[in-house]
Amino acid sequence: MELLILNGLVNGLIVGGIYALVGVSLTLLYGVLRVVNFAHGEFVIAGSFLAFVLFSSFGVPPLLAVPIAAVVFFAAGWGLYYVLIPRLARSDDPELMSFLMFYGVSIAAAALLLLLFEADSRTIDYTFTPVSMQVGPIYVSTARLVALAITIVVSIALALFLFKTLPGKALRAAIMNPEAIQIMGVDIVRLSAFAFALAAALAGVTGVLIALVFPAFNPFSGAEYTIIAFIVVVLGGLGNPVGALLAGVLFGLAEQMATVFLPQAMAQIVGFVILVGTIFFRPSGILGVRFKR
Amino acid sequence: MAARSRALDSADRIYFTLAALIGSVLLVYFASVPLLGLNVAFHFYLMLWITMASAFNVASGFAGYMPFGYVAFYGIGAFTTAILVKKAAFPLFLALPLSGVAGIVLALLFAPTLRLSGIYFGIVSLALAGICRLVITNMPEQLTGGSFGLQLGSRAHPVQSFYVMMAVMVVALATILWLSRSRLGKALRATRDDADAAEMMGVNVPIVRLYGWLISAFFPAVCGGVEAWYTNVVDTETAFNTLTTAKTVIYAVAGGLGTVTGPILGAVAMVWLDELIWRQFPLLNLLILGLATIILVLFLPRGIVGTLLRKKPQWRRYIP
Amino acid sequence: MTVAIETRGLTKRFGGLVAVDKVDLRAAAGETLGIIGVNGAGKTTLMNCICGLYRPDDGGDVFVGGERVTGQAPHVVAHRGIGRTFQVPRVFRRMSLIDNLLVPVLDRKAPDAELIGRAEAMLERMQLIDLRHNHAEELSGGQQKLLEMARMLMPDPPIVMLDEPFAGVHPVLCKFMIERIEETAHAGKAVLLISHDLTSIYRLSTRVIALNQGRIIAEGGVDDIRGNPAVIEAYLGT
Ligand SMILES: Nc1ncnc2c1ncn2[C@@H]1O[C@H](COP(=O)(O)OP(=O)(O)OP(=O)(O)O)[C@@H](O)[C@H]1O
Ligand SMILES: [Mg+2]
Repeated sequence: MELLILNGLVNGLIVGGIYALVGVSLTLLYGVLRVVNFAHGEFVIAGSFLAFVLFSSFGVPPLLAVPIAAVVFFAAGWGLYYVLIPRLARSDDPELMSFLMFYGVSIAAAALLLLLFEADSRTIDYTFTPVSMQVGPIYVSTARLVALAITIVVSIALALFLFKTLPGKALRAAIMNPEAIQIMGVDIVRLSAFAFALAAALAGVTGVLIALVFPAFNPFSGAEYTIIAFIVVVLGGLGNPVGALLAGVLFGLAEQMATVFLPQAMAQIVGFVILVGTIFFRPSGILGVRFKR
Repeated sequence: MAARSRALDSADRIYFTLAALIGSVLLVYFASVPLLGLNVAFHFYLMLWITMASAFNVASGFAGYMPFGYVAFYGIGAFTTAILVKKAAFPLFLALPLSGVAGIVLALLFAPTLRLSGIYFGIVSLALAGICRLVITNMPEQLTGGSFGLQLGSRAHPVQSFYVMMAVMVVALATILWLSRSRLGKALRATRDDADAAEMMGVNVPIVRLYGWLISAFFPAVCGGVEAWYTNVVDTETAFNTLTTAKTVIYAVAGGLGTVTGPILGAVAMVWLDELIWRQFPLLNLLILGLATIILVLFLPRGIVGTLLRKKPQWRRYIP
Repeated sequence: MTVAIETRGLTKRFGGLVAVDKVDLRAAAGETLGIIGVNGAGKTTLMNCICGLYRPDDGGDVFVGGERVTGQAPHVVAHRGIGRTFQVPRVFRRMSLIDNLLVPVLDRKAPDAELIGRAEAMLERMQLIDLRHNHAEELSGGQQKLLEMARMLMPDPPIVMLDEPFAGVHPVLCKFMIERIEETAHAGKAVLLISHDLTSIYRLSTRVIALNQGRIIAEGGVDDIRGNPAVIEAYLGT
């Protein structure tokens, strides 16, 4: 039993790290642009497929796929921003309409993945040597440990970026007070495009990590990650990146522990219940600070 | 003063004449579909989507909510009819209204979410629909048929179910026509525009919202029941498919939220387009649905009727 | 004289801030009570407490026509006979002007045609009749203030509260609104009027209260207030 719990803890940490990244990119998007990216899971899964293609067609190992995904998704995000967002801002209720528009993006992206890769589940047959390592009394696959390491590196880099660099500070300022920052002479359009691109890059990288951590993925997996991203974002407080990181880890742990103690189906329901419960009883998230809505 | 009242009456007359005209065109056209040997399946689903989009309009266009888990009502209705007919040997014509009742019960359970707004409401609605799906999926197999679903057996009767669907559509449209002119409809719209102000103007906001919500939940539940009867089979994957919500929302928005004719027109245009695309490029169907949604939000966020009325505000009084 | 509206010890806190502090006020039918005070003095919060939007703290009470309405939902308080306008207009944006006016009388037994007739008469009085089928969002800011006033008067409430009706309004329209407010008071309603425009306040009010940091610092007739050192100090600062 203890081993099971320990296993749950370690895996919860690994999975939670990934959830944290999924959430943090979504929350950045919401925070800066006030758009609800319903297609976030598809962005993420597209990253997994990129890693898959890179490996199976070009022999690029997943570790190398991480920076490639970051660059490719950053560029794609930058372009997508200019196609989608400026026009959206003109509608009556941009926040709610963004939900609907990204609903469309999500359907289109899933359909595109389906056309390209068919409905079969894919795996990357890349193996690290050794295949697994001993952590205390349990064994964890090396791929998962590598993913955890990358997650930690990316999170720290992101935190440093947000809190120590000028563009990062501008982003946080934009989250807290979008009107004021415009007066301060920051080019809000460029900043928003950058935020979108950054979020897309993070999503792409997360996708590569998912290909490492989870046994398989298919074009429909996107929807699951969208829900997870919502749970994490709401739990962490809408638009709060630090909260999202924390909430991701917490939710990963909760989910993995739930699979230890509860039947599979119940574990899924737990996620939804956390989501609904948070919105009702603690709408500002676990940290209790809500960035200006 | 007298002249003005007369002008008002004539506006009303045009409004109701138009409504009657549209209603009778729909009625005659759909009634003759089985008689003329037209495509029953296509028209059955056309009526279903008109009903779904119109009922959704009550929650969104009138009350200002975006229930992204709208499919929950449809799914609960489908399973209610299937279980009652298959497991409890209810006659269909009793099971169908009970599907509507199930939708209302579910809406009452979800009523506390009405105090949320904007994206919070949307996300919670989505999550609740997910919970519904999972709960039904995990019910004992003897009851819900497990992953195979429930077969209704030899009760299929396409033409009969076609006409029942037509009756449901007519009732739904009549309800919404009434609502759009009623005091409840005005109260709902006021609540949508500014709930606090409406409350301070004497509108009992929670009650008004609840009524709108129940109307909006009743019809998709009945639709679910009728569709179960029509296809003769119900399973969780299709009954709770998020695509059902997506289509409902998209059709309603395409036509224009807040008007009676909008969702009808939106459903007709989009279902027809969908069918066309489906025939030509069956693989691209989903992709195009997604792209259509994006284009709609970006270029026609008020929908067909909404954009028209924006351009011609003086027509608002005449167009239902 | 019958007291139409009265508060006793009305208090409202936001966290540590006491926005309204033990306010006792009363206004009789036909009387106009001016409420003045610097920005953040608590004037709007006072109105929000009276109409039930905020629940008062520390056992403060609101009485309408002698009956306690404290803690009642805003729509219940509204039906007791309080109408109001807002500092920043809150019209029902996507409803026609006529429908805007119908909202406060939706629960009346009277037939629709009669209510619509009354709404049109009211719009006529506010010189908005030509726009009656427009959506409220298509009105200018000043017109929205007029629409709010019309909406407030529609159910013929014995008590009306106006929150800065003259803010951002052209002098000509201002004069028009002052006349409408005078009519309202002459019709026997109790009027609570918030304004930074002291000239209008002094002209319209039968009595004035001055608020500072949520507390009443002066109360009395126009002349008392005009020369009151506490008021001058609060307004001009030291
Ligand atoms: N909803 C609220 N939450 C927290 N604090 C509030 C809230 N509403 C008002 N306040 C605070 O209460 C105090 C009084 O505000 P109020 O709006 O009543 O002032 P006011 O007299 O109407 O000012 P103005 O002349 O600027 O309209 C202010 O300090 C304000 O910051
Ligand atoms: Mg104020």
